[in-house]
Amino acid sequence: MADASPLRVMLLQEGDLPGMRSLESMLGQRLRTESGVLLLSSSSRPEQADLLVAIGKQAAASVAGTVRPVLNIQLAADVPQLRSTKRSAFLYIEQPAARQLALIRAALPQVRTVGILLSEPRADIARLRRQFIDAGIAVEVEQVEDDAELAPRLQSLLRRSDVLLAAPQAGIYRSDTIRNILLETYRQRVPMIGLSPNFVRAGALCAVYSTPEQIAEQAAAIIGDYARTRRLPADQYPLRFEVAVNFQVAHSLGIPMKGAEQLQHQMRRGSEEVRH
Amino acid sequence: MKVGTLAVTRIGLSIMLMAGTCSHALAEDTSGSEDAYFEELPVVLTPSRLTQPLDESPNAVTVIDRQMIRASGFRRLSELFRLVPGMYVSSQNGHSAFVSYHGTTDNFSRRMQVLVDGRSVYLPPFSMVTWDDIPVLLENIERIEVIRGPAAASHGANSTQGVINIITRDASIAAPNEVTLTQGGNGILDLSAMLGQTSELFDQRLSLGYRADGGYDLPVFNDDNRTRMFNWRGNYHPNAVDTLDMQLGYSASTRGDGVVGRNQSPLRNLYASHDFQQLTWTRALDNGNELRVQYHHTHASFSDSQPDYLLNGVTLFPKVYIQSQRHDLELQHTVQWNSQNRLVWGAGGRSDYADSSALFYYKPAPRLSQYRLFAHDEWRLHDALILNTGAMWEDDGMQHRNVSPRASLNYHIAPHQTLRLGASVAYRNPALIEEYGNTQPAETSPFAAYGGLSPEKMLSREIGYVGQFPDAGLTLDARIYVDHLNKLIYLDPLRDANGNFNSASFKNMYQIQFRGWESTLKYQWSAQSRLIFNFAHQKAVCTAEGAPTWISDPRAVAWFSDWIGQCPSMVPDNSGSLLLEQGLAEGLEMSAGYYFQERVQVLDALKPQTSMSRFDIKITRSFGKRDEAGGGEVSLVVQNLFRDTHTEYSSIPQQGTPNLGRRAYLTATFRY
Repeated sequence: MADASPLRVMLLQEGDLPGMRSLESMLGQRLRTESGVLLLSSSSRPEQADLLVAIGKQAAASVAGTVRPVLNIQLAADVPQLRSTKRSAFLYIEQPAARQLALIRAALPQVRTVGILLSEPRADIARLRRQFIDAGIAVEVEQVEDDAELAPRLQSLLRRSDVLLAAPQAGIYRSDTIRNILLETYRQRVPMIGLSPNFVRAGALCAVYSTPEQIAEQAAAIIGDYARTRRLPADQYPLRFEVAVNFQVAHSLGIPMKGAEQLQHQMRRGSEEVRH
Repeated sequence: MKVGTLAVTRIGLSIMLMAGTCSHALAEDTSGSEDAYFEELPVVLTPSRLTQPLDESPNAVTVIDRQMIRASGFRRLSELFRLVPGMYVSSQNGHSAFVSYHGTTDNFSRRMQVLVDGRSVYLPPFSMVTWDDIPVLLENIERIEVIRGPAAASHGANSTQGVINIITRDASIAAPNEVTLTQGGNGILDLSAMLGQTSELFDQRLSLGYRADGGYDLPVFNDDNRTRMFNWRGNYHPNAVDTLDMQLGYSASTRGDGVVGRNQSPLRNLYASHDFQQLTWTRALDNGNELRVQYHHTHASFSDSQPDYLLNGVTLFPKVYIQSQRHDLELQHTVQWNSQNRLVWGAGGRSDYADSSALFYYKPAPRLSQYRLFAHDEWRLHDALILNTGAMWEDDGMQHRNVSPRASLNYHIAPHQTLRLGASVAYRNPALIEEYGNTQPAETSPFAAYGGLSPEKMLSREIGYVGQFPDAGLTLDARIYVDHLNKLIYLDPLRDANGNFNSASFKNMYQIQFRGWESTLKYQWSAQSRLIFNFAHQKAVCTAEGAPTWISDPRAVAWFSDWIGQCPSMVPDNSGSLLLEQGLAEGLEMSAGYYFQERVQVLDALKPQTSMSRFDIKITRSFGKRDEAGGGEVSLVVQNLFRDTHTEYSSIPQQGTPNLGRRAYLTATFRY
């Protein structure tokens, strides 16, 4: 039964990453106009809220002990493998493996082996590997434990890979390591698929990503539904996405590259075919 | 002759001890992975770091990569160009190399632009490259791009026949520290050490090298040589868009000269040094645009320890001391109009200065101020059609203003197959010695340059083909070309009061038409197995374009027509190389090089070099993980394994025809 009083929602976000902050502000704007939702100010106490929205890993950690329902907006990579079964839902920031696979198939149909650098073993990468193998693409993984290992592991990985797929990993892709990583991929003429438009600007060949606006829109829809039904949905990945392409890098590597819109269209069509 | 003590080893060792490895665990901090996702990242692959693919380039390009350098077993930079079709490589003695494309050269090869990280090492007063002095270690070279054909529109003045573009390892490429020791027959003793460090804002690499050998294996000839070099490269990247690349280098060499029993040329040493400072600021702008400002200063000096100096067998200068300097500043702006069109334009200025009382005895050569403007546009008219157009305007500081245009159309006739049609113009500005040289008349063969030379002009037309067959592991790069070199500058014999031709000026007197075809076939059948075959066939036809000053004297006419008559032999009809790399077992690799060249007459050599060939082999055993700290390798190189005839350039009668015998050396590398 629908509750007549508005749903009191509080957004929690810590840290100062521009992407996370803009996600918070865009979601705030949307919720202010969402009927049946009352957005509490940041100075409110979490206990006053009917639904907490934790944006990012730090915010998720700060509400770990709460009994309130929580919508977590964060990277799937950061979600503990044994998470509690409390009232919470997850909206992931990054793209599902199937979408990464669709991008590789659309942009680089000749790729047979994908390389991934990891700083620790991860369940989602194990799942990704199975999905890729099912699609006829091998996945090579190199684990890097400290900075000194990064260059040799990367060199070794690139020798065995047709493309380097960036996976969100603490410690590996940082502003001070990306220089070495991209120079090495370029030296070995192995393109890199990045995580975001920042990667593409830096020198990755392409990336599939969702903008903060797209994630905010999806989060607002989840919250709106919750206001009406008081039920949290199943964990989900972003529905809408964008593709960015670095044509200069593509030309230099001699890779015939389709436009971003064409790639997006092809990826959507591919996923529809799978669904039908 | 024994090589000198290795002072450099002590420095190297102390730096090795100083250098600590800086590493920290990739700890999972609270927001690490979100950082990776949302953090602003530096623009790394900026336009100036990206090269055009071979099949879209306006010229034929040969790339010598690290793997080829390693497989060749070569110790000297100049030797690597044996892996380029149509290239001639030799040495004035057992040292002092010269490299020329399409022959027709003397030992001051002047018609190629040579750049190291964008810095021209083509120096006044001879406009030649002192290959053995360039402070670059082979281990530091990332790749060498050799543009075969004039490319003034994109690489500036004096790219008359081609451009050699040496790209060294970026300081930001993390690599373990490395020491290498090479020792072998004929006094070969080389040592190098490279130390690198990368951090959030600043990366650097220090390289130290020592290279020595006994020159040619000729007992009468003193050509032992040793070179010490130092090179430092730093890369400061304070934010996501700016990069400041700093480079310093220095080399000092001692080279034996003189011939036993030749009074005019006693056994002695020549000393040469070369130093440079270079600063490049790159700013990544929005939409893939880039702004780059580069400044460099180069200083080179050369001195002979004897009062009477011999050049090419003739007493030429009373005492040779040459000092030259260059300052160069260039701004370059890359504009990516859209995904189909990119423009690179810019402007630069250069000041060249040479000081030598021997070469400029009565009147010093002026300091030359040169200016240039250039633009190059790459326009993808269609998925299968790329139009490259460009031009450079320059003022050479000698009253000449030239425009060098270039255009090429690359058509992908099928996926991975491209046809290229290209035409290009380039000029060679007279060298200071050619325009202003004035030496003492007392010498037997001095220069008295009349001046007033015009730049040499090259017009090149070519049809190229690049075919890549990835499934078969094959790449074929071939071209046919017709090059017209006009107003060629060479010695103009002058008659003295006694009616003798003992001195010379320089004059634009000849034109040469070069025709030929070149091809490179690469076949790679596994990650460790590759074959690269280069072949060049060429013909030169020379005609008069002007006449010697003393046309009224039959001796001058005979000299002039001899030159024209000899011209077809100034290029080898056929030449080529074959490089095989083969992995034998885990940690065991073999590579072999075969080099051949038909008969060629170098302009000022006493007699032609006969047809020659040689076969080199290298066997490498590596230990530990390749390219990682704790790893390394030991190699045995044998050059001219079968003692084939491999003659070299010679201009001294007593020297005879130097023939490179068999020589072997061991190289050990340890990474830490």
